[in-house]
Amino acid sequence: MKRRRFLQTFLAFLGSITLFSFVNSLVRFLAAIPTRPTEAKKIFIRKNEIPSGGVRTIIYNNIPAIIINRPDKGFIAFSRECTHLGCLVEYDHGKQRLICPCHAGSYDLEGAVISGPPPKPLTAIPLKIEGENLVIG
Amino acid sequence: MLKKIRMWFEVRIGLDDLIKTKVLDYRIPKNINIFYTLGFIAMIAYAVQAVTGILLFIYYIPHPDHAFRSVQDIMTKVPYGWLFRQMHVVGSNLMITVAILHMITVFLMGNYKRPRELTWFGGALSLLFTITFGFSGYLLPWTQLSYWATTVVTSIPTALPVIGEPIAHILKGGDHVTASTLSRFFALHVAILPPLFLTLMGIHLFLINRIGISATPFGIVDEEKRPLTEYKRKIHPDGYPYYPSFFQKQMYMMMGYFAVMFFIITFFPTMFFPDEANTPADPFRTPSQIRPAWYLLAPYQLMKLIPNKFFGITLMAILAAIFLLWPFLDTYREKNVLKRPVLRGVFMFLLITWVVLLFWGRT
Repeated sequence: MKRRRFLQTFLAFLGSITLFSFVNSLVRFLAAIPTRPTEAKKIFIRKNEIPSGGVRTIIYNNIPAIIINRPDKGFIAFSRECTHLGCLVEYDHGKQRLICPCHAGSYDLEGAVISGPPPKPLTAIPLKIEGENLVIG
Repeated sequence: MLKKIRMWFEVRIGLDDLIKTKVLDYRIPKNINIFYTLGFIAMIAYAVQAVTGILLFIYYIPHPDHAFRSVQDIMTKVPYGWLFRQMHVVGSNLMITVAILHMITVFLMGNYKRPRELTWFGGALSLLFTITFGFSGYLLPWTQLSYWATTVVTSIPTALPVIGEPIAHILKGGDHVTASTLSRFFALHVAILPPLFLTLMGIHLFLINRIGISATPFGIVDEEKRPLTEYKRKIHPDGYPYYPSFFQKQMYMMMGYFAVMFFIITFFPTMFFPDEANTPADPFRTPSQIRPAWYLLAPYQLMKLIPNKFFGITLMAILAAIFLLWPFLDTYREKNVLKRPVLRGVFMFLLITWVVLLFWGRT
């Protein structure tokens, strides 16, 4: 290899290392500060606070969520974040659906998509009944 | 005294020669029209945004606990704060309007054609930057409108496989719109975009000057159909002098721009301030009527209509790429749009579609 060719290749090599290092650092810098995953705190709610057909909105693990007391099927909890673009769904008592105000996506009381652009069901949140209490989380 | 000042500059920078060559002897095409001033008006609009933005910067606090309050203080307590914020808000909408009109007129006059492909590309990129300016500034008042519009727009990249989630994460600085997002958007709005934009403007103006002003294709023999084998600056020796004829047109349009701005501020002060724009952001309640700024309503409505998010974002990316690279796609040499019925039809179709989507998105 001629000296000039070697120097050109070596310069390109050094430039590539510099560029790669800088871009890598930049992307890592721009990514959010990593947070240590913490265990979500359980939430306790008395069953009789949510009558049949009623709903209650809560904040679970910093995420807006909703508990629904379905007339025949009992309690269920979902994240309220629409799986389309992240707006918060609202419960429509008349239609018995969860509706997103942004792009009109609608979900049934199982969290499944009925219509509109959401690509997947609402994220379910673990809920169990312990005596007279609902335990969320 | 004035003569002395003039002489001081003359002996240092050759002021007389500068004025003679760049203003008095600078010729512009005879068939130039009022639409050629729109680029200049866009620059005036950017200057207004820079000045009023710097003034708002003095009182604005980029933190979720203070952002809304500080903006309210600017509007209600700071002397004439309302005026500068209104100028900034109304100005941002007018700036985008002028930039869009500038692109439309350049398109219709065929002035994007060779050798001006790069000038178009720079201008089109500037328009996208301008929209990014508007979008990044939208979050800063930390209102219900700004918070949820930003939530929607920053979630759009998640439709892309593999890279979508990291992009959304970088934009938001986390999983949700939070203080990190506000800091990022503030940095983007006041520190990252301005130097990038100014550089782009510099290149755009350099290209316009280097290549020379294009005449309109209407009523003249279009000599630019010649084979492009060497660089040749377009000059107009038989054209009108820039000063006073075209300069007067520019001043006339500039005053028109300010007249529209102050007319809106005076008679329609709430035009760009719906109720949600005066309500502090509540991350736990999405308002029922949430929609982005008017210039993003067409893509917003498109996202509503296309059920598949990935398909929607891909379509928008393709449309943006076509817009940026249009001169490289339309290589037909005829500049006169009146002699190109297909192009005219496509343009009208796109314009009508855009307007329909815009108004549809508002409802």
